[in-house]
Amino acid sequence: MKGLADRHRLTPLALAGLSLAALVMVAPLLWTVALSLKSNAELMRDSGTAFSAPYTLENYRAILQGSQVFSWLLNSLIVSLGTTLGVLALCSLAGYGFARLEFPGRRALFVLVLLGLAVPEQAVILPRHQLFADLGLHNSYPGLILPGLAAPFGVFFMAQYFRGIPRELDEAALLDGASRWTLFWKVLLPLTWPAQATLGVFTFLASWNDYWWPLISATRSDRFTLTVGLASSQMNYAQTSGLGYLMAQAVFAALPILIVYALFQKQIVGAMAGAAAR
Amino acid sequence: MASLELIEVRKAYGAATVLDGVSLSMETREFLAFLGPSGSGKSTLLRVIAGLETADGGEVRLGGRRIDQLPPGDRGVAMVFQHYALYPHMSVRDNMAFGLRNAGVAKGEIGRRVLEAARVLEIEPELDRKPAQLSGGQRQRVAIGRAIVKQPQLFLLDEPLSNLDAALRMRTRVQLAELRNRVDAAFIMVTHDQAEAMTLADRVAVIHDRRIQQVGPPMEIYARPANVWVARFVGSPAMNVAPVELLDGESGRASVRLGDGSQVDTRVPRAGLAGAGPLQIGLRAESVRVTGAGAGTTDARVELVERLGDRTLVYARLSDGQALTGEDRGASRVQAGDIVGLHMEGAAAHLFAPDGSGRHPVESTA
Repeated sequence: MKGLADRHRLTPLALAGLSLAALVMVAPLLWTVALSLKSNAELMRDSGTAFSAPYTLENYRAILQGSQVFSWLLNSLIVSLGTTLGVLALCSLAGYGFARLEFPGRRALFVLVLLGLAVPEQAVILPRHQLFADLGLHNSYPGLILPGLAAPFGVFFMAQYFRGIPRELDEAALLDGASRWTLFWKVLLPLTWPAQATLGVFTFLASWNDYWWPLISATRSDRFTLTVGLASSQMNYAQTSGLGYLMAQAVFAALPILIVYALFQKQIVGAMAGAAAR
Repeated sequence: MASLELIEVRKAYGAATVLDGVSLSMETREFLAFLGPSGSGKSTLLRVIAGLETADGGEVRLGGRRIDQLPPGDRGVAMVFQHYALYPHMSVRDNMAFGLRNAGVAKGEIGRRVLEAARVLEIEPELDRKPAQLSGGQRQRVAIGRAIVKQPQLFLLDEPLSNLDAALRMRTRVQLAELRNRVDAAFIMVTHDQAEAMTLADRVAVIHDRRIQQVGPPMEIYARPANVWVARFVGSPAMNVAPVELLDGESGRASVRLGDGSQVDTRVPRAGLAGAGPLQIGLRAESVRVTGAGAGTTDARVELVERLGDRTLVYARLSDGQALTGEDRGASRVQAGDIVGLHMEGAAAHLFAPDGSGRHPVESTA
């Protein structure tokens, strides 16, 4: 019988296959980084020069010298963190409510929330734009954060997670004299940490990468998020005459994402595998 | 003074009645077991007392105070759950202190009570560990500790031993017995295990079919079952129950005839049995002794033999097809297929009236 360690050992064929797959995945990233380290002029002649010296940081210097890039970075951080914290708070409370509280219309309301998954953003963008204009929310942090807080998947995800926690814990806490809030805050919520981490990482990534809504809502350059700001600073014909700069922008915008990924790798992989790592 | 009083407690889930007018009274410091099969309503009754289920009718009183309207935390009860229900993210210390903190008990007092309980339960070294780092037996003791520190008037134990292996179950049973001697509170334990109920409890409430069938000390339930159901549920193997015919006679004791024609002279008073309708006889296996063919009350064909070491259970069938379980002492040589004699000890026989109610021998030897 094969032991566990044996079954986890890769055959040379599998190793070769996985290496090839990894290479395919990582090649565009390396290509991007390489291009970002070359001068625009050199790349205009031949992008193949990316494989050979000289390398330069001039594209990054150009980004950092752009007067507003740090305020865009800050905007992105505020919007992404605000959205993430808001989604975690709302989805946890709603998920707990749907999983544990008895109230009239609970099932219908849950279905209604789930129906939200079926509505594409494109279908609501015009009325939302109008609504935010009427409320004077464009070019503001709330204007950028609020739409992201409607997270039907998050509510569903948290409700399922709460449902998986044995009810005996609720009962033990009630017998221990805990109020509903104490039960939620001190007993159940700490147990949902893996789900919070997964949902939080995905919300942060989605919010950080969002381009469309900030493009519509933030029309003043001091309210741009990083994605919108960097795109706005591209000159015409950037693909040919400013390739290095373009790639440096991409790397710069992706850095925070890479950091988040490195920190929460376990949760992301767990979520991808269909189960939050408990 | 009565500790717990249940008055006509009713509970239904939709159309399904689970508890149908249950009344019960318990003394202070009494240990009561709710014994019944799965789905009998015993756990529901415990949860109604705890406040985890709301009764549809009736009253629950503890120490003279009506508690059925109070939230679970205010009832003066503590519960040990079947699967322990320890808070996985809290240390043992915090698990035990949680209820006291919610009750606003002073910090020093919490620490003192937790330490004392931990010492009694021998889990002091485990105080800073998480439940996942403990063995099943240790978790069980933490769950008990969490209940003890609250100093409740009533402990509710929901199948507290069912998750433990046989050896640990025996040890924990002894620990529970010691615990009840040490604390000034009443205990209710839900179990489907008769041995637990019989060994730990002062009284056993046998619950079946939405009602309490009988409440009494363990030996009384065994010796004088209130009805056929209790008679067959309590004791292992189940009591033999067979239809009989009441014979005419002048004596004050009932004599009956089984379906195969054999006669048993019981010590059950005859009064009230004549004309009551079809009767059933109840005989425990130890009152049906296996002898040589022709030497007993009747003969039977052996179908199955269970050798338990000190005794042997013999499952046999009478000539009319009635199954009976008898006992053979010592090193039995009985084999399946043998014809054996069965000696029925009439003095230990019970009779059951058509409504199922039990009549018992006046000088019970069972």
